[in-house]
Amino acid sequence: MKMVKSLITSIIIGSTTLAMPAMAEKAADGAFKVTDKPLTLDIHFHTKKYVYNNDWLVEKEAARLTNVSLNNVASMATTKSAEAFNLLIASGDLPDIVGGSSIKDNVNRYGPEGAFIGMNELIDKHAPNIKAFFDKNPDIRSSIQASDGEIYYIPYLPDGKFGRGYFIRTDWLKKLNLKEPQNVDELHDVLVAFRDNDPNGNGKKDEVPLFMRNWEEMIRMVTLWDGHASGSDMFHDFYVREGKLSHGYTEEAYRVGIRNLAKWYKEGLIDQEVFTRGSRSREYLLSNNLGGMTHDWFASTSGYNDSLKDKVEGFEFKAFIPPAGISGKRVEEHRRAKVKVEGWAMSFTNENPIETIKYFDFYFTEEGRRLANFGLEGEHYDMVDGKPIFRKEVLNADAPLNTIMWQNGAQIPRGFHQDYSYELQWSNKYALEGIAKYEAGDYLVEPFLGVSLNAKEKEVFDKKWATILDYMLEKQQSWVLGSANIDDDWAAYTSQLERMGYPSVLKVMQQAYTRAYTK
Amino acid sequence: MEDINNSLSTEDSILVKKSKWLVMHLKKEWQLYLMLAPTIIWFIVFLYKPMYGLQIAFKDYSVFKGITSSPWVGLEHFYTLFDNDQFIRAIQNTVMISGASLIFGFPVPIILALMFNEIINPKFKRTAQTIVYLPHFISAVIIAGIVITAFAPSTGVINLMLNAMGYDSVYFLTKPEWFRTIFVGTGIWQEAGFGSIVFLAAVAGVNPSLYESAVVDGASRFQMMYKITLPCILPTILIMLIIRIGNILEVGFEMIIMLYQPATYETADVISTFIYRQGLQAAQYDLAAAAGLFNAVIAFLLVITANTISKRVSKTSLW
Repeated sequence: MKMVKSLITSIIIGSTTLAMPAMAEKAADGAFKVTDKPLTLDIHFHTKKYVYNNDWLVEKEAARLTNVSLNNVASMATTKSAEAFNLLIASGDLPDIVGGSSIKDNVNRYGPEGAFIGMNELIDKHAPNIKAFFDKNPDIRSSIQASDGEIYYIPYLPDGKFGRGYFIRTDWLKKLNLKEPQNVDELHDVLVAFRDNDPNGNGKKDEVPLFMRNWEEMIRMVTLWDGHASGSDMFHDFYVREGKLSHGYTEEAYRVGIRNLAKWYKEGLIDQEVFTRGSRSREYLLSNNLGGMTHDWFASTSGYNDSLKDKVEGFEFKAFIPPAGISGKRVEEHRRAKVKVEGWAMSFTNENPIETIKYFDFYFTEEGRRLANFGLEGEHYDMVDGKPIFRKEVLNADAPLNTIMWQNGAQIPRGFHQDYSYELQWSNKYALEGIAKYEAGDYLVEPFLGVSLNAKEKEVFDKKWATILDYMLEKQQSWVLGSANIDDDWAAYTSQLERMGYPSVLKVMQQAYTRAYTK
Repeated sequence: MEDINNSLSTEDSILVKKSKWLVMHLKKEWQLYLMLAPTIIWFIVFLYKPMYGLQIAFKDYSVFKGITSSPWVGLEHFYTLFDNDQFIRAIQNTVMISGASLIFGFPVPIILALMFNEIINPKFKRTAQTIVYLPHFISAVIIAGIVITAFAPSTGVINLMLNAMGYDSVYFLTKPEWFRTIFVGTGIWQEAGFGSIVFLAAVAGVNPSLYESAVVDGASRFQMMYKITLPCILPTILIMLIIRIGNILEVGFEMIIMLYQPATYETADVISTFIYRQGLQAAQYDLAAAAGLFNAVIAFLLVITANTISKRVSKTSLW
């Protein structure tokens, strides 16, 4: 971490003296003016930890450039985004702009009922930058539009491809004279060695060869047997292959995968408490020198190499490329979403839709995007060879960079396109190394970006899906835990799914998918 | 003519008398009414006013359209519910879990109160009481954490004890057959002590002269407990039992959410957790309201039944 930081800062110091183009841009100030008369729009924006703040430096800079300032009306005391949204919409007293966490389903549900303004025409006429983005990414456009074809929100668009990867205690491998597992059989052998050969050297057989913070990640290992766990960045979602939707938990390959995972669980290779240990398991198992391997986020998992350096002797927890499955293919099913359910929307009470869409468009200009990603020039970053590079005092501050950005109103999930170089600049070297390994191969699968169901389809989906998924998960756990055998249950399982209406759910999903994604 | 005048004036005077009486009464007893007011306001605001919203159980509810403008759909949500095997199972589980906690949990505070009553050393009595009250004041989140830790297969106390006795570890919290035992046991441990307060108060209200004469007649302590204390606190026991039966469908919902797993849905999924998963997480408020209404109606019927039985059998009742 330190090395990367000092490397970057030395680049900055080396080059800032050469280039000082910052002032030159101020000349173009008038270019982003949305209106001549200053305009204030009310906004209700709530996301995990933050409520929109009128004092954010980014907000102030945007107001200076566009002449539109946003005024927060959400209560600072709000803690749950979903509740905040429900209260807001139930009150009927909507502010000009509504944004924040998980608004996609809500705006696409209440938009057609008249609560939000459909923005297709506004985008075509007044938002050249947003239009250009959608023209370049038609699949993203398809994924966010409501069933009536209108766009009701401008989404937060994350950048970068890789989210989670396989991590293993490379120091344990060395100690036991093992190589990085290249396929599923080798992986099994490595885990057995972790279990039996006392890699932590305390004389006790207390190692947990394979652990997961989310038990759903353990289920995702069915990909080693050509199964599918989820096609999107949410757990248990449908997946898509060549335009056809399906759910992984109904397929033969899943059966093979679960059969084997159950075997691994029984052999003690998988954390015996995987279903109850919860979110602190990674911290606990790593810092107590117990855990051997996991599948988790690059950035946060790599961080343990620094934080546990002094606590666990020789600790090295590195990413390795996905082991080849039984068919010889290496698959990494998880990827970052290209488009999130967060963003912002215009409510029906908005009297300045044209100014609002122009304001939204500002964040899709080069300058606006930079502002939303990196904060203020001279304050948070400097331009080096035409690229924004964070200042060293920002990178070396006590708080992590993302927190600093949030506190200034950058990187919050407004409608904007993230720039991956923001994250690269403060990533741990182990994370960068791991991502580079994944980048070198072709492991990712086609992502499922989601569909918008119309009222009729939604009725079918709502009525049946929650119950079906409950049933799937109940069976899934009992198979892995060994309280039931998947091969004995399989015929009953598939016929029960059919009885519960899985075919009709799949049909409406497919219908909505075809409507949105095929032109 | 005179008669009519007379009768009018008497009516007037009755009215005047009545209102005078009311003013006097209020003047005299205003403190009592003041003390009553918060409860009445609470009832109106939190229990009567929300009843207006119950109609969404019969509507295709949209939060944006509001309660009045959402279209009616009749009993559709109820058909959906009873078409769902999981809902039926949730009803069964609710009855099983509540039944078990009623059968095993209800007598425990009574026994505790009787036991406390027999303790002579006041210091020991106070310490013992404090210890059994304590779990009541711990939040459900922490209790769930304690339970998960205690029953963990590798480091949990219970499994360590099993191992010491030569048994294999059991992953209790993923075993459907263990869920009820753990849940009901935890509930008893948490609430029995606090629940004994009511019965202790009832025991304290028993006329001491009864005991004195019993001692004169040569009764043993056990006989006094069985023949005097128990019959004297029976009305309290019955009232508490009726209240408990009314709440039979309201199983401690937070605890279950924190303790259950898809693997234990089979025995752990109760009506309230079902409502939470299907209704609130999937934003089907109308369906959740229908399930809630069903829950309330059954609870109401149970209270009436229990009350009637109690009235017939022991002449003790809530109304």
